[in-house]
Amino acid sequence: MTPVEWGIVALALLGAFFGGVAAMGIFRLPDVYTRAHAASKSDTLGAVLTVGAAALALQSGISTAKAVFLLVFMFLTNPTAAHAIARAAQDQGIEPWTLDDEEGET
Amino acid sequence: MPVDDSVTLRNTVAYVVDEAKTAVTDGPVELHFVDIASTRSVDPDAPEELAEASELLERVELWVEEDLGEDPPAGISVETAVLGADRYLFSPGDYADAILEYAADVGVDRIVLDPEYSPGGATPMLRPLQLELTRGDVDVAEAPVERRTETTVLTRAASLPKYVTVFGASYLFYMLLSAWKPLDFLTGFLTATLAAVLLAPVAFSQQPSVVRVGKQLARMLLFVPYLLKEIAVANLQIAYVVLHPSLPIDPEIVELRAAVWGDAPVTTLANSITLTPGTLTVSVSDRAFDIHSLTAGSREDLFGGSLERAVRFVFYGREAAAIASPRERGDGGEGQDG
Repeated sequence: MTPVEWGIVALALLGAFFGGVAAMGIFRLPDVYTRAHAASKSDTLGAVLTVGAAALALQSGISTAKAVFLLVFMFLTNPTAAHAIARAAQDQGIEPWTLDDEEGET
Repeated sequence: MPVDDSVTLRNTVAYVVDEAKTAVTDGPVELHFVDIASTRSVDPDAPEELAEASELLERVELWVEEDLGEDPPAGISVETAVLGADRYLFSPGDYADAILEYAADVGVDRIVLDPEYSPGGATPMLRPLQLELTRGDVDVAEAPVERRTETTVLTRAASLPKYVTVFGASYLFYMLLSAWKPLDFLTGFLTATLAAVLLAPVAFSQQPSVVRVGKQLARMLLFVPYLLKEIAVANLQIAYVVLHPSLPIDPEIVELRAAVWGDAPVTTLANSITLTPGTLTVSVSDRAFDIHSLTAGSREDLFGGSLERAVRFVFYGREAAAIASPRERGDGGEGQDG
């Protein structure tokens, strides 16, 4: 395999790893705010790394440029969406989970 | 006048008092303010609602006193009442019945409505209620008070540089995504023209200047690698926290008064905060950020202010980057809860 191909595989695997972390985070974390952390960060990076792999694999000028635009827009829109969800949760008066809640339960 | 908490309630009361002051020259005036209880007194949450109703009515009485001034004209008296606590009110017709009954009892000859009056919560109530009220033989009027208007100026005067900038950016973007066929130049031109005509008035808060935007873009290029590094660190931390068997988190919402000004810098900072270690912007009003942080370490980083400093550097240059960090400004540390 050429170095570029190694790069593609590495990016795709890392992307899959962070996608998995995002899914695990949404599953394991206790409330909407903490889950939004997993969704906004790990998910963005996972998607971005995967698109990065695609950009490398395409290797033709225009398609790569499009993939790069996709990356930029993901970095712009994903946190905005997470912010919108968190804000909606706050507007609904949802109290964030804290360590005290856990101590209260157990 | 039926009262319910609304944005124009204060102004409507002021209007009613003004009218009363004019009318009092012809004879004594009685002002009646009524709050209509939507639950019967036998309902479990009725006591609470009745308490709210009488509190609101007390507030209205205070406003009336205030509006009448230090030297109130003789002949104006104020009565308040809670209506409808003995039955279940559902439709605008029921509300109108309750109001008209009361009006007939005490001899009211004019009913003034608050333009934002909506005792049914989100259900629009004013028009049907107004219609139902005309059944009685009293005068019904909507108070001519200002409704709340949005104060943000979205559209600013457009100018040639703005049109050129929007047109150029749109055309460039269109061509980058297109296949460079002759037809694409034409469709791109048309699309960019449309975008420029429609969006140039809203696209900028300041006149675009080649020098300033160029400098900002150049500094942005320095900012991006820094942000990418922060994002990578953020993700490793999240991965560690999420995959750790005991889930070592200590979430808390903290408030940050950031030293950035303007829409674009605030948005950039808010999104950068969301993307970096364990912090998530929950809401922003002006410069006050409510930030949900996942771990204690992430709060430390946040108030250390390196990210805020970087955003300032991008938008305002090197001098602005030297402004003290949130912690040095005496901000941060204390959370809103727990």
